[in-house]
Amino acid sequence: MSDSYESDLPAKLQRLIETIDIANVLTDPLTRSIEDLLRATAADIKSEEASVLIRDGDEGDLRFLSAIGKVAERLIDMRVPAGKGIAGFVLSSGQPMAVSNVEQDDAFYAEVDKATGYSTETILATPLRYEGEVIGVLEYINRSGDPPYEAFTPDEMDRAARFADAIASLVHAYESAKLFRDMSQMIIGGESEFDVSEVRDWLAGFRGGAEHKEMMDLAVIVREIAGRGEAERRMCREVLDAMLKYTDDKTETSFLSY
Amino acid sequence: MTEVSGIEEFGNATRMTYFQLADDWRSATGKDVSVAVIDSGIDTTHPDLAGKVVDSVEARVDKKKVVFDPSDAGDSAGHGTACAGIISRIAPDTKLHSIKVLGAGGLGDGMAFLAGLEWAIKQRYHVINLSLGTTKPQFFAPLHDLLDRAYQAGCIVVAAANNLPQPSFPSVFSSSLISVVKSAETDPLNFGFHYGEIIELTAPGVNIRTPWPGGGHRNLTGNSFACPHIVGVIALLLEKHPDLTPFHVKSALYAIAKENQNQNS
Repeated sequence: MSDSYESDLPAKLQRLIETIDIANVLTDPLTRSIEDLLRATAADIKSEEASVLIRDGDEGDLRFLSAIGKVAERLIDMRVPAGKGIAGFVLSSGQPMAVSNVEQDDAFYAEVDKATGYSTETILATPLRYEGEVIGVLEYINRSGDPPYEAFTPDEMDRAARFADAIASLVHAYESAKLFRDMSQMIIGGESEFDVSEVRDWLAGFRGGAEHKEMMDLAVIVREIAGRGEAERRMCREVLDAMLKYTDDKTETSFLSY
Repeated sequence: MTEVSGIEEFGNATRMTYFQLADDWRSATGKDVSVAVIDSGIDTTHPDLAGKVVDSVEARVDKKKVVFDPSDAGDSAGHGTACAGIISRIAPDTKLHSIKVLGAGGLGDGMAFLAGLEWAIKQRYHVINLSLGTTKPQFFAPLHDLLDRAYQAGCIVVAAANNLPQPSFPSVFSSSLISVVKSAETDPLNFGFHYGEIIELTAPGVNIRTPWPGGGHRNLTGNSFACPHIVGVIALLLEKHPDLTPFHVKSALYAIAKENQNQNS
């Protein structure tokens, strides 16, 4: 009986894990928290429509991660191409801005409004930063009540910048959880496109590389020094920092090709 | 006449007059002054900007280097057009040079604007409008180096503060550039100077009517739009006093702001 129990165990565990909705467990509390924060902060600056757009890929595209308001559901997962519209600019420039008098009849990037049927008249957009990197954009659109809407004020821009810091931390946590969720789903779900043996081969190749061996040797030396005491750790850090600075100075000479 | 003198706040040292600035700059138009707008490009077809933009270049990555090609891509975001419109309204005869670094494909955000700044300094444009910034610490040292180069080349760099809780570069550097934060003031000549604060200059930046790509207009709020107001004023100063160095210009702005303050009170 014990043999049979042990041989069944992996299969039972797998079934058990499959019954847990990993997506919900890892990311849903975070998206709900982001929405709650959007709702609370929007009320604070007298708006009812707010959204969080996150960087999607390396080219500066944006994707709606979270939204509240009349067209929230239609916005989720909608994309804004790199550099387009106010959100695209705020992402690439890192500068917050408020725009009013947003008409629909010219070159304003109106694709989002066209797709949702919503009419943007006044907008406040501020970058979401995490550890110095712009990871997305926080937007508040229009005001509570009926149009015409008053423009967002400088004081509201300052408040939005502070809200953005709290939301950025949650967005970062969401991104990390999503990464873990996606990997878990691929492995546990046994999706056909995901071949574990490929990962093993890649890892083996990586470990076998000469550069990797050198890096591992270096790590072993650093670990040995670090284990000798506080003074040695400090000295090691100072030497390595100085070396980093030296190599940075050597490479940072020009940003152009001429 | 504005008397540009030593900074009075330094104890009881004898006040020294550097130079006197005739008022003729107030009626200048920015003629023969070149201004670079490092931004998202400029919509040169906008009626407000007809004939104002003398050339446009766009950043592109080629073999891990940034190169600048002539550009007819215009402005995909609206920001550069808005900044150009503000400068042009204050100094209508200024020659604008568009350096598009945002919305150009394949560039990291910080690298693009460092390259744009270096390009503008190499061209020795008189004034450089930098309504951009970065909070990435790795750009601190290279930006410092570039701004020193700008100072030595006689280029006056004006940067917008980011108005966010974190410091942004280069606006927090004080020695070699002019940094600007928005105020609710509407008269571009009635700007303020807060000596001792990180961001020294204040200029109109709230609900500013600006041209927008496609021919329309927008009302914009942000430090980004305070910055070109000061750029416009500097263009007026430089038309009448072309020999002013970046140091002179900063001193002149301080003296003029002091007069503004006295008049306002």
